[in-house]
Amino acid sequence: MKKRRLLATLMTAAMFATTLTGCGGSSGGSSNNSGSGSSATTNNNGGGSSDGVQEITWMFWDDLNATEDKISLGYKDTIERFNKDFEGKYHVTPITTNLEEYYNNLNAHVSAGETPDVFIVSPGPQLTDYVEPGVAAPLDEYLNKDGWKDTFKSDAVFTQQTYDGKIYAVPLNTAAACCFYNTEMFEKAGASVPKNWDEMITACDKLKAAGYTPVTISAGTAWCLSMVAGYLCEAEGVSLPKLADGSASWEDGKLESVGNKLLQFSEYFQRTAAGDTNDVATANFYNEEAAILIQGSWVIGQMNGANPEFESKCGVFQFPGVERLIAKSDSLCMSSTTKYPEASAALIKYFTDDTAQKYTAEVGGKIPVTNVKYDESVAPKQLSYVMDIFGKAKGTFGFYNESMPTTETGAHFDDTMVAVFLKDMTPAEAAKDMEDYYKANCRK
Amino acid sequence: MDKMLRNKKAIILFMLPAFLLFTLVLFIPIVQSVYYSFCDYKGITEPVYVGLKNYKTLLSDKTFGIALKNSMFFLIFSCVSQLIVGLIFAALLTNIKKGRNAFKNIIYLPCVLSSAALGLMWMFIFSPKLGINQLLEKCGVEEAPLWLMDTKGYIILPMWVIAFVSLWQYVGQSMMLYMAQISGISKSLMEASYIDGCTKAQTFRYITLPLIKPMVATAMSLNAIGSLKFFDLIFNMTEGGPNHKTEVLATHLYQQGFKYFKYGYASAIGVVLLILCLLVTLFINKVVKTEQYEM
Repeated sequence: MKKRRLLATLMTAAMFATTLTGCGGSSGGSSNNSGSGSSATTNNNGGGSSDGVQEITWMFWDDLNATEDKISLGYKDTIERFNKDFEGKYHVTPITTNLEEYYNNLNAHVSAGETPDVFIVSPGPQLTDYVEPGVAAPLDEYLNKDGWKDTFKSDAVFTQQTYDGKIYAVPLNTAAACCFYNTEMFEKAGASVPKNWDEMITACDKLKAAGYTPVTISAGTAWCLSMVAGYLCEAEGVSLPKLADGSASWEDGKLESVGNKLLQFSEYFQRTAAGDTNDVATANFYNEEAAILIQGSWVIGQMNGANPEFESKCGVFQFPGVERLIAKSDSLCMSSTTKYPEASAALIKYFTDDTAQKYTAEVGGKIPVTNVKYDESVAPKQLSYVMDIFGKAKGTFGFYNESMPTTETGAHFDDTMVAVFLKDMTPAEAAKDMEDYYKANCRK
Repeated sequence: MDKMLRNKKAIILFMLPAFLLFTLVLFIPIVQSVYYSFCDYKGITEPVYVGLKNYKTLLSDKTFGIALKNSMFFLIFSCVSQLIVGLIFAALLTNIKKGRNAFKNIIYLPCVLSSAALGLMWMFIFSPKLGINQLLEKCGVEEAPLWLMDTKGYIILPMWVIAFVSLWQYVGQSMMLYMAQISGISKSLMEASYIDGCTKAQTFRYITLPLIKPMVATAMSLNAIGSLKFFDLIFNMTEGGPNHKTEVLATHLYQQGFKYFKYGYASAIGVVLLILCLLVTLFINKVVKTEQYEM
């Protein structure tokens, strides 16, 4: 009897363990492969076809068939243009997934040995995750061919993509994190564009008194809240390199002050901020349910795509009390295991040609990375405001979570800031937690 | 039959496919997972043996603590609620004559539907701007509960919501198991109890319950394992948020493995789950003592 029970127990446990292992093994295959205009294929790393066409894959963080985001639609155009221009020679099939699941799906593909030939990635530790183990291939050979590299604004655009003197990703555009605001609501509430933190709080008070939700933000997508914390850290003079090498401490009072300001600011957030995703928080803004949205300028394409009439009401100001801007670029990597590097490089080049870059500015509202001339009169109004802010800023810095030693450290910072917002931690506890984390994981 | 059992070649021939399948699909992956749990393994580089480091990290991982607490909550909630509700449904449905199949199908239907689709459906129903809250707003409730976002309390509201959704989805399975067992009870036993003056409730208490005890142990074991490996509803309804507060062991394992490339650490979580499953199954088998009766 005992033996039977033991055997039954072992069998059930084994059943469960297999379920888990199976889950791990199958996740790559279960990722959302939705093609753009053509069915997606899992035939990665170059599936050659019998007619000699070089088949490659491109992985991206938005559904090209469902999206209203103008930047994503521009990428879709580029893909279609590439497939048309290289018909019979190269063909690319997109693998798309939602932003929140993008890296999980990409990592599953990489682990399964099915790295997409070309994939989008954020610079910083996320790119490092693919460069260090040799997943991403250096692109200098292709960039130096036919003067491709000379089309970019300067070599500085490759700074975040360069490792040991080699370029591992090509930036497609630049976006800056700004405060987008509803000019109509500001006017009706008698609020003015804030220049410092106190004025920001005053503006929020006026908006709240006028019956508006002052700020829409997402803590459900933690990096959105952490972006605000990043700006507050900048205002406090936090130095990430010093924190990383141990010459500064998170417990020096600066992060505690950031936490207190964040708590003060959170009084003006929408009620559902704790669980709202980035998309929901953004929709609150362009659907005129809140007055201020703090977000990267990539949101211009999303807002104008979803609600074109809102463009005329949307103003932009720099995060108050800071002189530098958070800037970020979408970048494309090429798999080191691709069978068709020429086709992959040709695809990346298409994303940076004049047609794509003009679209980036004139329709998408993002800042091009090449010297392309675009018609400012047709570009979204918000882009000109962002360009003004960009021109006046004393420099740029990366997203805080993407400027830390590892992806996980960045995620820990995001979570800690959300914990402060949810009042799970006091600002002082958050500072101690970050210091302990750095001591345990980031400093040698 | 005896002749066939003496034929060792035939035995090997019949057992080989199952044995190979078991080894390839079950045994090797389990051993691999256990080995990786002692390694620093990123999935794309060679695993490096680090001893108990991953297990030590588990002890200081706050999210693991939350995930463990939530998994244990699911375990207790689903074992108790599915036992009670499943038994009630089974008892009621075996006693009605009209519409039994219709009710059986309605209650069992969610079991065969995709958890991902159901998760999304319930996410919309509990969304602050749709579903239930819209109805509550129309009824004059100004600040309706944030069903999937509230973070107050030891077991937060989203966990209760998800637990009830999972009860709704899986209670049909328990009900079917109990019904199968109840239908196997000889009618003469029931009739004898009625002749002896038992009410229906007494018959259920003294005849039905003891006879379905073996199935209670089986159903509870299945519920326990199912709730420990619970993943899909949580992932689709909250993705473990807000701020990891609805994370369970399986979602934490997934995040660690696929978001941070920490396959070694994720394997350690998997091994803990495996051990938990073993312990819980042993516990249930020990607590729910079953005796075989002639039915």
